[in-house]
Amino acid sequence: MAHKSIETKYYEERASFFEDLARMGALSRRGFLQIAGVSAGLAAAKGLIVPQSFQLIEIAQAAETATPGFTIAYISDTHLYTRNVNDRFIRSAVKAVEEVNALDPQPDFVLFGGDLAQLGRGEELDLGAQILKDLKAPLKMMVGEHDWFLDLGEHWRSLFGPSQYSFDHKGVHFVTLMSVQEKDFWTARGMTPEERMHTVAGLDNGIQSRFEVGPEGRQWLQNDLAAIDKKTPIVIFSHSPLYKYYRNWNFWTEDADEVQAILARFDTVSVIHGHTHQLLLNRLGNISFYGLLSTAWPWPYAPEGLPKLTVQMNRADPFNAFDGCGNGQLNVLASGMIDKVYNLWNRNPVTVRANYLSSNGANDRPPATTLASY
Amino acid sequence: MRLSYHLALALSLAAGPALAGNDPPRHQLRASADGNLVIGLCDGETSIEVKGLKPGDQMTREQGQQIADALMTGWRQKHPEAKWVAAAEPPTEAQLPGVKAPAEKQFQTYGAFSERDRRIWQESTDRLVAEGKRIFHDAKALGGTNAISCDMCHPDASNTHPETYPKFQVQLGRVALLRDMINWCIENPVRGKPFADDDPRLKALEAYILAQRKGVALDYGKH
Amino acid sequence: MQLSRGKLAASFAAVILGGVLLALLGVAFTSSDNPPTAPATPTPATPTAATPAPATSGLATPEKQAPLKPALPLGISPQLYALAVPPGREPTAQLAALGEKLFKDKRLSIDDSVACETCHDPTKGFTDHRGNSATSAGVQDQHGQRNAPTVLNAMFQASQFWDGRAPALEDQAKLPILNPIEMGQKTPGALVAKVARIQEYSDAFKLLLGHDPTYEDIAAAIAAFERTQYSANSPFDRFLAGDPQAVSEAARRGWALFQGKGRCSSCHAFNAVSPLFSDQKFHNIGIAAHKQNFAELARKALGILKTGDTKQIDELALQTSYSELGRFLVTKNPADIGAFKSETLRNIGITGPYMHDGSLATLWDVMDHYNKGGVANPFLDGGMQRLALSEAEIDDLVAFLFTLTDDRFAEFNKAEMARQTSLKTNRPQRETEIAEGRKGDLGDAGITPDLRNPASIGAY
Repeated sequence: MAHKSIETKYYEERASFFEDLARMGALSRRGFLQIAGVSAGLAAAKGLIVPQSFQLIEIAQAAETATPGFTIAYISDTHLYTRNVNDRFIRSAVKAVEEVNALDPQPDFVLFGGDLAQLGRGEELDLGAQILKDLKAPLKMMVGEHDWFLDLGEHWRSLFGPSQYSFDHKGVHFVTLMSVQEKDFWTARGMTPEERMHTVAGLDNGIQSRFEVGPEGRQWLQNDLAAIDKKTPIVIFSHSPLYKYYRNWNFWTEDADEVQAILARFDTVSVIHGHTHQLLLNRLGNISFYGLLSTAWPWPYAPEGLPKLTVQMNRADPFNAFDGCGNGQLNVLASGMIDKVYNLWNRNPVTVRANYLSSNGANDRPPATTLASY
Repeated sequence: MRLSYHLALALSLAAGPALAGNDPPRHQLRASADGNLVIGLCDGETSIEVKGLKPGDQMTREQGQQIADALMTGWRQKHPEAKWVAAAEPPTEAQLPGVKAPAEKQFQTYGAFSERDRRIWQESTDRLVAEGKRIFHDAKALGGTNAISCDMCHPDASNTHPETYPKFQVQLGRVALLRDMINWCIENPVRGKPFADDDPRLKALEAYILAQRKGVALDYGKH
Repeated sequence: MQLSRGKLAASFAAVILGGVLLALLGVAFTSSDNPPTAPATPTPATPTAATPAPATSGLATPEKQAPLKPALPLGISPQLYALAVPPGREPTAQLAALGEKLFKDKRLSIDDSVACETCHDPTKGFTDHRGNSATSAGVQDQHGQRNAPTVLNAMFQASQFWDGRAPALEDQAKLPILNPIEMGQKTPGALVAKVARIQEYSDAFKLLLGHDPTYEDIAAAIAAFERTQYSANSPFDRFLAGDPQAVSEAARRGWALFQGKGRCSSCHAFNAVSPLFSDQKFHNIGIAAHKQNFAELARKALGILKTGDTKQIDELALQTSYSELGRFLVTKNPADIGAFKSETLRNIGITGPYMHDGSLATLWDVMDHYNKGGVANPFLDGGMQRLALSEAEIDDLVAFLFTLTDDRFAEFNKAEMARQTSLKTNRPQRETEIAEGRKGDLGDAGITPDLRNPASIGAY
């Protein structure tokens, strides 16, 4: 095993460039063929050595995914306690804000994916609002169950406004759904608001109801979309996944089928959801689903029900308070489809191309897991 | 046919004392008007006519079971006061063909446990597991200082892999047992004081975690 | 003539010394057709194996040399030795002796001014202890960006250099010779020609290998010498072996803190098979962020990476300021930005100054750095957080670290401890408010555990 310094490796890569070109010629991907053909022709004509096969892949991908539209950054599931209780989650939330602020160019806006607070307390939500205030780009808020079930959303709404709203941006129709409604499990049990909140805050207690958008929410969605043309790309922000993943942990939306039916007539629909704290991908009919990372902690994959298109993220190292956590970007393409960047802290980012889900996993598979869950 | 065999055995035991000293009852079966098969119980009284079956016909296992059940139902209706003794479990050892099952079971005081014992044992174990579950879900009980509890990262104790210990645990830089990792987690993400090896809380946590992986094969050293 | 194993173990240093003398005397060796890297014969190596049979003719041909049977110290496991020494590269006494001579020879540099040992001084724990300058000096007193790490136990490392860019000792040895600010040779050929012109080397290589040296041969000889530099007979090793008096009470407390509240052992991993106090992985602990423009450099490098032009990054790697990107320059993994190898802590007391850039003068500075959770930067490893160690706990940890020095350097260790203690009052890295959690968001402080019996912890 001969040593290769950075320098040596570079020269070797240059030397193997033409071999790469030859190999690419055998590949079926049109992008590769075109680019490789052009480059090889150039190289032959001018006697130049074109550096780095890596570059070709980048160009080929850019050609395939068409012109980029705009970028949204996301931060989600910060689960803040107050500073005297827990500093770790604050540290992570602040890090996420600093990173989004360092993006150049800045995103068109920042999506917050819900669960700003851990136990829905006013102090927690106020602290979160204060941290998010430092964001340079405009902020779109979404509510999570941890924000809601202490006072049923009162304080959250006083800070951030309605929990359900829609808007249009550069030809895309965005809808933020309140998808963490639960049927009343607390009154019959005589629970205090704190007990209710604690119950909802746990995944595995089996007491709470399943999340739902609810009949009113669905009617609102129906009305909101009524006038929208089927060709208009739709992006739904929802805290719960809007499909049925794992019931025991409430990785689940009880009326998911009904919501999906409302969205069925559109050509391009993406659902961006929080709550599951993991790299999570699904495709059902016309809808691509993307889970968001949490800044606070990662959740393990559920023992069953994991969508087959999900390429798992590696198991996290508990020594590293950032590992398995992160933030990311949604690159909304001109087609209205989304390339999603999972900016996993202390790891290499993972980009999920829109084409991966829309091809039902046939193309652009994201990098494989090395430490799968079991 | 094992079930009917045992029913008959139990029946003869229950009925035995009443017949002691006499000749065994001879069951005079009345004939069927339609020439059907008639089967009598060994009490000398109860009998049943099997419609659609003539003497000498082959009967199925299901038919045989139905006949035996009907006969026993009849007997029990006639003897509502009878004390019913459940048959003992059949021996579990594999029997060689042609070798009779032993008539008696081994006995020792230690092994003479009843259903009541089993219940007590199970409930005791479940209580330790339940206590573990409580601590697992309670940052204060863990002695944590930052309101983080185990279930926040390990719902249903998932991703704890108790079956893989002992193993090299990267976070400790050495080989660990499950309890070492529990203590490491208490000390690090939970920011509490590690439990002493004989602390009942540590035992309870271990019990809960292990209980969640019932049936999973041991695989020490797995990563 | 054979020696018993015990005697062999005891006289290991003598083997090397003997080998040196033999090489210096230019004695002829017995010969065979096998190259020096031939697989080991089952015969245990003895000093006599290095003793040459009389040359039967003027034509020297290489002999079959038995590899040295290592007398492993307490703290090094045979499994680690087997894992670390590639088959066929077990050092022989002759090659190691030749390697030592090369290691110490300034003529390997362009202007006869710098030898390997200039920066890896065997009398100073194979580091350079440069006083005011943190980074090492090469030809014409040029300073690079990195602090010379020790050669002691380098043979056990999974990769060489602070950024791991060389997989093996042989690969490592070749690079400083050609580095313009280290030994300054223009090409491998130039060095080979220079060595071949030196009669004693020419003779020695011909005797050992049957031919004039190649660049590979020179590197192999230096590597063979370095594979004799294991070093793990320390007070701590005797403590773990069962002598509770081998280390002080303070050091025992420090050992418990090391594994607990101090959070040291996750990266400076110690276990029975790999007792190096290092996971051999790369972590961003914020040292790179001492340079004010680090975040900006990192973002620029990431931007370049997105364009796919990794060639540009290789060019940047040769520029001084980008050196702080560390492991990233080798792997191009964004996760490796600003990450450097967790160095072994063996002999740490005598191998200061500390960190890849030598920016921390004493072990107290190192403790201060970790206690405040490192230096914030966008790529800081999430394992770094404030530790809330008290001054007494810091003293205990430092006391523990000084027990990791091999007895061979006991006196030097004592002197270094005294010197560092005298600098204890000057604490440029100290930020007590952050360390204790009164300032900043650096995670939740741990609480002081009850000290368990440290001797029972961490042996496996």
